[in-house]
Amino acid sequence: MREDDQLDALFRAYHAACPAPEPGVNFMPQLWQKIESRQNYGFSFRRMANALVTAAVAATICLGVYTTMRHSDTAMYSQSYVEALAENNTIDTDLVAPARLEIDQVSPMN
Amino acid sequence: MLVDFGLIRRAQAGDNAAFNEIVLAYRKRILGTITRVIARPEDVEDVAQEVFLRLYFSLDQLRTAEVFEPWLYRLTVNAAYDYLRKQRRRPEYRMSDLSEQQVLMADAVAGGKVEQDEQYQKKIRESVDSLLGAVSEQDRILLMMKEVEGLSLKELEKIYQVNENALKVRLFRARQRVLKAFGAVKGKEPATTG
Repeated sequence: MREDDQLDALFRAYHAACPAPEPGVNFMPQLWQKIESRQNYGFSFRRMANALVTAAVAATICLGVYTTMRHSDTAMYSQSYVEALAENNTIDTDLVAPARLEIDQVSPMN
Repeated sequence: MLVDFGLIRRAQAGDNAAFNEIVLAYRKRILGTITRVIARPEDVEDVAQEVFLRLYFSLDQLRTAEVFEPWLYRLTVNAAYDYLRKQRRRPEYRMSDLSEQQVLMADAVAGGKVEQDEQYQKKIRESVDSLLGAVSEQDRILLMMKEVEGLSLKELEKIYQVNENALKVRLFRARQRVLKAFGAVKGKEPATTG
């Protein structure tokens, strides 16, 4: 007999040697217990997730409000960039002050 | 189908009594399949309960009641695979057992009669379990579904959701590995080759 056929015979014998067992009396009660415990776990997980989402939204709103208040209180941000630059560089403006010509001391005929 | 489509639709809609009826109808079949796939009688009920637990929480994902059975088998295959992966049970070839099994098989084939005592069945179970140690957990389950459970390639195609050719190739390779292990044991036991 070929090995292939012998293997098929062995698989058939295995099927016969492993009949389906009768389910125990606790099969259904245990199954429903497991379903309920997983449902409870899922429910508490969802509650925890909802609490976390609520806390995250609240924190975001608080941070938003805080940032907006800081913006409106700071005078620095009411100036433009050029104005702020000019204010910080007053020495430069002296150096480039307009040159005054003393016209009356200089005679054009001389 | 062991149940009608209406019952499945009721269970999908959240009717626990309908789900209970489905479990009662299918549990013996699922217990049998799992018994043969995992070869650990003490854990069979746990794995079967895991199958129905997954079914309960995934019924709403079932598109149509017509594909219920492949869906249930798919859950069975996945639960059995998860169990086997956790066990990571890779038994050594038990040469003494296999040799004895060879004697029994030769007798059975030649004489056309099979002893049905518990000792014989135990040897058969151990022999197949050892031979299937030559393949991965996935291939073990696939071979079991095809060779022992007798599912057709079309049915396996629906369960595994891969095309028939890919399944054929995988089955062929797995079977070749098992045959090699089978042949190796036979080669060591010339008295049983008849």
